[in-house]
Amino acid sequence: MPSTPAIETIGLAKRFNSFTAVNDLTFKVSEGEVFGLLGPNGAGKTTTIRMLACLIPPSNGSASVAGYDIAKDASKVRENVGVLTENPSLYERLTAYENMEFFAQAYGLADQSKRNARIRELLEFFDLWSRRSDRVVTFSKGMKQKLAIARALIHNPHIIFLDEPTAGLDPESAKSIRDLVERLSQQEKHTFLLCTHRLEDAERLCRRMIIINKGRGVAVGTIEELRNRVERGHVIEIALKEVDRKVVETVKRLNHILNVDTNCSSGLMRISVEDHDSVTPEVVRSVVNAGGQVLSVNVLRPSLEEAYLKLVKKEEGRGQLV
Amino acid sequence: MKMENVILVFMKDWREIRRNWQIILPVVTIPIVFSVFLPLVTLLIPYLAGTSMSATQGFESLINNLPSQVQLEMAEMTEQQRTIYMIALYFFAPFFLIIPLMASSVLASDSFAGEKERKTIEALLATPISDSELFLGKTMVSFVPAMAVTTLAFALYSVIVNAISFSVFGGRMLLPNLVWLLLIFGVAPTIALAGIGLTVIISARVKGAREAQQISALLLIPIFILLFGQASGAVVLGPLVVMALIGLFVVIDALVIYLGVRLFHREEILSRLA
Ligand SMILES: Nc1ncnc2c1ncn2[C@@H]1O[C@H](COP(=O)(O)OP(=O)(O)OP(=O)(O)O)[C@@H](O)[C@H]1O
Ligand SMILES: [Mg+2]
Repeated sequence: MPSTPAIETIGLAKRFNSFTAVNDLTFKVSEGEVFGLLGPNGAGKTTTIRMLACLIPPSNGSASVAGYDIAKDASKVRENVGVLTENPSLYERLTAYENMEFFAQAYGLADQSKRNARIRELLEFFDLWSRRSDRVVTFSKGMKQKLAIARALIHNPHIIFLDEPTAGLDPESAKSIRDLVERLSQQEKHTFLLCTHRLEDAERLCRRMIIINKGRGVAVGTIEELRNRVERGHVIEIALKEVDRKVVETVKRLNHILNVDTNCSSGLMRISVEDHDSVTPEVVRSVVNAGGQVLSVNVLRPSLEEAYLKLVKKEEGRGQLV
Repeated sequence: MKMENVILVFMKDWREIRRNWQIILPVVTIPIVFSVFLPLVTLLIPYLAGTSMSATQGFESLINNLPSQVQLEMAEMTEQQRTIYMIALYFFAPFFLIIPLMASSVLASDSFAGEKERKTIEALLATPISDSELFLGKTMVSFVPAMAVTTLAFALYSVIVNAISFSVFGGRMLLPNLVWLLLIFGVAPTIALAGIGLTVIISARVKGAREAQQISALLLIPIFILLFGQASGAVVLGPLVVMALIGLFVVIDALVIYLGVRLFHREEILSRLA
């Protein structure tokens, strides 16, 4: 039975005067999913998040979040959503604790002891508990970022928008954020809309994603689907002690081989194939039979980065929705 | 509308303001200058100079415009008493309209435009607190301290004036009187609200608190007109003029607050950031 999607947009668009920041965006995110929003600077990611968080009204199209229409039920949407905004948006003259307390109350956590426990839990998780009584103005960039993420989670929202959550974080903190997102989505079925420039984050966390450029959706799908859109198949990379003409000729004669590339100085042979599962054993066997001394075998797939760059470029050349 | 949300916004803004010397300094010092330093200087001169001085010449036309009852009363006064009476009860009155106006617009521009300038508004607007709760909380945080410093300034001023009048008028205390009570508790609040409403309107258009503050200083113009008008004898801050002022500012309040509320929509605030 298909449940209602956690987030759904239909033809969402935003114009600022005559400038179109977001254009005809349509996508669906189901419950418990971590959905990536990728795109170059100025693509319209933050604008999209602002519309979905009911901070600015769309010029066109519609969207629902947590089952509520963003135009008709804005206050319900706000109650059910946690937002990490692009700027940390913290009160610098207030302490970390005062910031958390204000937002906890603003989100309706009326019970004081529950509120305090929740704040403590979050601040401890983000290593900020010992600094809770310091004014935020004294915090480093990364500390502010962590506090802003803690604030986004204060009311334990089921849908969370994160606009570049790992920006400014050290590798360890970035990892703990990734782990947190993973845990909340898998164990507690929280839904995430994640805007990021770190493709490693997207690759690691997002099952599906949309790439947008100049306000338009360029491609939606799983990482696998996006990769396939730019380059079908894989590359088998075989490192040989020595690249031999005979070996190369043998491989070229095999079935299902798209292309063979060699590099004599490094001893690398790169074989493009359509489906590596069925071909790899056969390729390796024939290389060995032809007298090739195999040092290692690697199956390379186009990285998300390659796919991303190609999709964005392609779009730029064509200027139309693919 | 939930009152606890209004108070929440009020307390949050108040905490921020309290820790901001750029706000506290003008809001506290200007009232002290107007209610303590300037009055001490101007009132002590005729007081110490004694009866030999006839400074009332400058007030001649003003005195002529006073209600006949007050004129009668003044006819029996000495030169010194007359001078002190005029300065204490009439000359300083407009200054006590500058205090609520200045304080409320400094506070409101920080609360409305400042929050936008510091970019904290985005997370605030993402919360379920409604527009009207935000508007009311922020109006209160501009209004309450502005009226507090105005009342406090009036109390200090009354002490100084009464201390001098006590000795000069043989045990008589000049303040508070009806006109001043109307001024402080009738005109001052309506002026403070006008300052807030105008600042809200301006804050929707400008980027920062400073611009908002500078533009809302425009409201000082009518007060200066009053100040000079009174010095030249054209107007007298008697009960009728004060009632008229209250009426005028109530109308202005209704207008600017209506416009302010219409402009204060969360969706507009972020769209217009640019
Ligand atoms: N309030 C506004 N008024 C006018 N133009 C705006 C406004 N907000 C955003 N824009 C424009 O909309 C476009 C998209 O901006 P947005 O902030 O959504 O980009 P982004 O994808 O988040 O970029 P980045 O990766 O740099 O954060 C930009 O060209 C920006 O200049
Ligand atoms: Mg952005």
